[in-house]
Parts: sequence; C-alpha cells; structure tokens
Amino acid sequence: MAAEPQGSMTLEEQARVLPSGEREFFLDVHTTDLEVNFGPQHPATHGVMRILMRADGEVITGAQPHLGYLHRCAEKIGENVEWLQYLPYTDRYDYLAAMNNNLGYSMAVEALMPGLELPRRAHMIRTICAELNRIGSHLIAFGTYGLDIGAFTPFFYAFREREWMMALFEKICGARLTYSYIRIGGVFNDAPPGWLEEVGRFCDVFEEKWKEYVDLLVMNQIFVKRTADVGVIPKEMALDFGLTGPMLRGSGVDFDLRRDMPYSLYGEMLKDNAFDVIVGKGEKGTLGDCWDRTYCRVYEMMESIKIVRWCLERIEPGPVLGDIPKVLRIPPGEAYVGIENPRGELGHYVASDGGKVATRVRVRGPSFTNVSVLEDLLPGALIADAIAIIGSTDVVIGETDR
Amino acid sequence: MNFDGIHDRLRVIQAPGLLGADLPRAAIPGAKHGESKDAGRGGDAFVLVDPQKIVPFLHVCRDEDRLRFDVLVDLSATDPKAEDPNLWININLLSVERRQRLAIKALLPKTDLKMPSSTAIYRAAQWHERECAEMFGITFVGHPDPRHVLLPDDWVGYPLRKDYVFPKEYHGISCE
Amino acid sequence: MGLIEHQFEENVLTTRVDWLLNWARLNSIWPMTFGLACCAIEMMAVGAAHHDIDRFGAGAFRASPRQADLMIVAGTVNFKMGERVKRLYDQMPSPKYVIAMGACATGGGPYFKFGYTVMKGVDRCVPVDVYIAGCPPRPEALLEGLMKLQEKIRRSSVVRRPARMA
Repeated sequence: MAAEPQGSMTLEEQARVLPSGEREFFLDVHTTDLEVNFGPQHPATHGVMRILMRADGEVITGAQPHLGYLHRCAEKIGENVEWLQYLPYTDRYDYLAAMNNNLGYSMAVEALMPGLELPRRAHMIRTICAELNRIGSHLIAFGTYGLDIGAFTPFFYAFREREWMMALFEKICGARLTYSYIRIGGVFNDAPPGWLEEVGRFCDVFEEKWKEYVDLLVMNQIFVKRTADVGVIPKEMALDFGLTGPMLRGSGVDFDLRRDMPYSLYGEMLKDNAFDVIVGKGEKGTLGDCWDRTYCRVYEMMESIKIVRWCLERIEPGPVLGDIPKVLRIPPGEAYVGIENPRGELGHYVASDGGKVATRVRVRGPSFTNVSVLEDLLPGALIADAIAIIGSTDVVIGETDR
Repeated sequence: MNFDGIHDRLRVIQAPGLLGADLPRAAIPGAKHGESKDAGRGGDAFVLVDPQKIVPFLHVCRDEDRLRFDVLVDLSATDPKAEDPNLWININLLSVERRQRLAIKALLPKTDLKMPSSTAIYRAAQWHERECAEMFGITFVGHPDPRHVLLPDDWVGYPLRKDYVFPKEYHGISCE
Repeated sequence: MGLIEHQFEENVLTTRVDWLLNWARLNSIWPMTFGLACCAIEMMAVGAAHHDIDRFGAGAFRASPRQADLMIVAGTVNFKMGERVKRLYDQMPSPKYVIAMGACATGGGPYFKFGYTVMKGVDRCVPVDVYIAGCPPRPEALLEGLMKLQEKIRRSSVVRRPARMA
C-alpha cells in the first residue's frame, strides 16, 4: 500500500524505530489498481459468470458481476409454447435441481386451476423426488465448493452418491439430469416396482456416507480456516438484498418456505415434526460467514433424508395424475407460487388469458438475487477469499440468466 | 394477516398511491367486502398501486408495524397484449417474521414508460429493475446503475414486449 | 497438426512418424474446462470416478486455453458468449479440436425457436470436429464422442495428400 509522502525528509529521517530497536523504512511506492477479469470461462465450475474485479494488490476494491452469458430467453419461450410444452424449459434453468423447478411451475399453473385435485400418491412421489433432488444439488454444491477451495476428494465422493441418485431418477422417468417428470396435475407415471425399496436403501447408505462428508470437508480444519469469518452477510443485508434459502438461513434468519408457508405435504409433516430447519449459528466464526452457509447445506441433506423416510412410511398405491384434459386451457388469472429450491425461493408468476399458451411466465430465480450480493460483499476481501465467497453463494447460472 | 387484512390495514393508514385491490378484474355483482376473488377463477389477490407513488408505498409496506414486509421477492413486468395500452408491473413482497406475502400491481401506460426506482427501499430491486428496463424499455428514474444485465450491451429492441420482432442477425452471425 | 502437417511426400518413415504422433496425441487429449450449462454437469460426471475419462488419457482438464487440446463446448452458446468462445478457440495452440456436446451446441437445441439470443449451434463461430446429440447426452455418449475424435486423430497425417475428387 502506498505510504504518504513525507515532504522533504530524507529516508533516514522517515524511518520508524520499532520496539525491538530495528528501524523500518518506508519507500514511496505508488501502485495502481489491477483490473482482473474473473471471466466467463473459469475453472470454478459455477457456470459462465463474469466478475470485473479491481484489486489493489491482493485486496479487492471493487467488483461488478456481469451476467447474460447463458441467457436463453426462457420467459419469451413461455409466451410462445403451450403450457405442457414449457415444462422441459423449466428443467434447464436450475439444472442441478430440475425436479424442484418442475414442481414450482406445475404448482403455479395448478394454482390457476382451482377445481383440480391431486391424488395423494402424486404428492408423495413429488415430495420424494424433490427432496432427493435437493440432496443431489447440495452434493454438487459441497463437492464443487471443495474443488474451488482446493480439496479434490469431496468432489469424487459427492459424485459417487449422485450417480446412485441419478440412477434412481433414470428408473422412474428415464432421464439423468433434466427430468420433466413432475407435470401439471401430478407426476408423469408411477414408480416402477422396487423403486421405493431402493430409495429406502439409498437413505440408509446415505446416512453413513453423510458422516464422511462432515468429517472430510465441513469440520476439516483447513476448510474452516478458509471459510470462517469470510464473506459475512449480516441479517439486515441479507433481507435487504432479497436473499433466500441457505444464504438467508446461514445469516441466522430462521425462515424456510417448507415449514413457514407450507405447500404440498409439508403442512402435514409439521404436525409430526418430521424435519428441522437448519439455521446458521456462527459456530466456527462470525454468524453469516461462508462456513455457516455450507453447514446449512450439508446438514439440510440429512433433513431431506428424514422427509423422504416420512413419505416412504406413508405412501399408498393409487393414481399419480389428476384429471386434466389433453389440450390444456388454463382459466384466466394470475398466480405467484414460491417454493423452496435448494438455492432459495424459486418463484413462478404465471398469467393466463384463458388460452393454450401463457400470457406471461415469469421466473424468479433465487440465484439472480444471491449473485447481486457479491457487488457489496467482495470489496475488502482477498482474491482467494473471493473464490470462497462465490462458491458459498452456490450460484447456478442457468437460473441467474434463465 | 390474510390479504384482506393487509388491504384493510393499508387503507386505514392511508398508504400513498393505493388505488384499490383486484382491479381490473371484473367485480362480482353483489360481492361483500372481503370477496375479492371470482369463484371458479384461480389466481392471486393483489393490491393496485399508482406507479409514480411506488416508493412511499413500499416504504410504508416495509416499515409499518403490522405489515413488516422486509424482503422484496420479485419485481417484474408483463405485457398482457400487443393492443393493451398498459404494461403491468408486478411486485411481490414477503414478510419473514409475519409469514405473509403481498402482491402489488401497477399499471404503466406504454406511451410513458417511466417510474421511480425502488432501489432506495429494497436493494434487491436494483437488479430486478435492470432486467425489467432492458426487457420492456421501462426507465426507472433514479436507478443507480442502469445497464443491461442479461442481454448484450448493444442489443436492439425490447424482447419481452408482445410486438417484438425477432432479429435476423447479430454481429454477422445469423439468428435463423 | 500445425507446422508439420501436409509437408512431406509419403514414404515409410512418415507412416511410422504418423503412427507415433497420432498415438501420442489421441491418448493424451487434454480438454479445457468449458462447461456452459446443463451439459457441464454431465461433463463433470464423466470426469468423476464412475465414468472415468482419465482412462482415455483425457482426464487432465486444463483451465487455460493455452494448455488445452480440446474444447468440449458443453451447453448453450448465446451471442454474448459466442464472442468469448471464438476468442478462446483462437487462443488454443494447434492441433486443436472442438467437440460440440449436446443439442444446444450442435444446433441450438430446444432454444432453436424463440431463442432470440441463442446461437443456433456453436459451429457458427468455431469449426467443430465431433457433434454429440442428447439433451444432455449421457456420459457414455460423451465418451463415445471422444473415441470418435480419437478415430479422427488416428487418420490425420503429416503427409501431403492430393486433393480428393467428389
């Protein structure tokens, strides 16, 4: 950092005498800020986001996120294709949690069809799939966060479990990543025989592996040192920026849409106290730092297992698709439904004028607001900390750009 | 509080810019106060607000004791039809401690697409307004950073309007 | 092939050299980390332990284009990103290859209609060697695409070949 010019004093006179008796000289060094392009192509595998950083040495003095490198016009497509034809596009915005996206869109459209009743088995399978996908998404968040920080092993461990989860989804709907399975009115088809038992086995095995993840990364001293006290988001800042999901809960705000504004079966689960909401407590550093957010995500995986187990105990055979016509015409109206995506509140605002095609499908992606906090969070951090902060926002650019 | 309680509260404290609720949907003949949804029609109840007074209205929503909407969830616009003279601005608020939501609608005439920016009240609005501005051509007066957020900087046209013409080429590469 | 491609007349030495160079190249194709969208997750799954890409020699994903041979364009390319794709392609040293992975990189994918900013296929800005269909393609499909690329490299040569007719 540049020192103040001392006028006409010589170097000897400018020297400071330290308590040990040594003398410390300051040289008049002028530096300019470096503009670093944390560019659209970078190995921190969060997608194509560009952050224009100005750095004074190692400390960041300004950061400006640039988006739009994956803008795929999802909202315009929503106005041009039929209701059911839009479902595959919903998979592709938050591609790590495609079931949750399908669920959000289907629930928003079902809100416009007041007479529609969903069979109970449809709700059960929807919840199981959404929670399994939440586990899958948090596994990637945890694995790639380790990769960014420099730990290669958690990535392989996470993908080992994720392969099993994707195999389960492949058995039920045929696709590994973009499912289009949760449809308007229920789910596409019933689970094949033996699927539910395999989900039960997955839960048992996952519980054991989960303890490995906690020991390997979350409680790892190096990880704690890299992420504690880094990227602290105080509670007021989190609310002001509109953050939701683990970003908000990591800052100590006890709010989860599944428990506080329940939809689908979550209202019933509350009576049985089936799951807890994990809120950051500032255990390893300041409340609202990167470690708290990772803690929320990893421990939420366990809560999802509890929810899946709750559903497996109570699921009964029955139909899985409600009574919807082949050619779907949604009655006029507008509805906004927000569900708890692994990244936050995914909101779909649908407006219909009674036709086969929507008037407006607006997608409120949680990553869009989660990324906006980087503008205020990165200045003051070191460049290496910036990687930790960006990783902890768990941003998926498909959702940011839609 | 449910929607009607919130609407009543806003009327009682005379929130600036409040124009009504659930207009311009057709009113149900004989509806009593509180019946703001048509039977057989789905959808959310919303509060209708004058767009030029949106900033004091949101201020009231955020700070008023019984409302306490501390999170701006969504700020977006809708072009209902190419012939419709208005654009709809839809704002969704959420109260974390009171566990309630509010849907706000403002009608902006297409001939004069200007409204004040809500960035001072909710920082979340900053990026949402940038997206609205580039997609619909709305100018948010007082916005600290009006750049394109999703589209390339030299994109021509406002894509989400109903009268948008898809471009034929961009920088020499065909769009067909 | 760069400097020595098509420079020599065919003789027994060049076939040996060909075989050796091609064998070395196709067993050590180092891709660049260029995951754009959903296909990137399947590319990461290929890099992980279950569908191991390292057994093909292609497991060393390099972050910098200057050190990579292969650019797997995994995901949708839109106009804003396309300019960066072209720049990255230009920064790669020869011999370089491009795999267009997935429907979006091949021809626009599901965004072909009504996607106003989507480039309908990455071959509108960089030359592509192998196209892989799928949305997203299974990891096995990406490995098959890699093997097809290895076939293509096996056929390349330092020899000057006469132009083919028809």
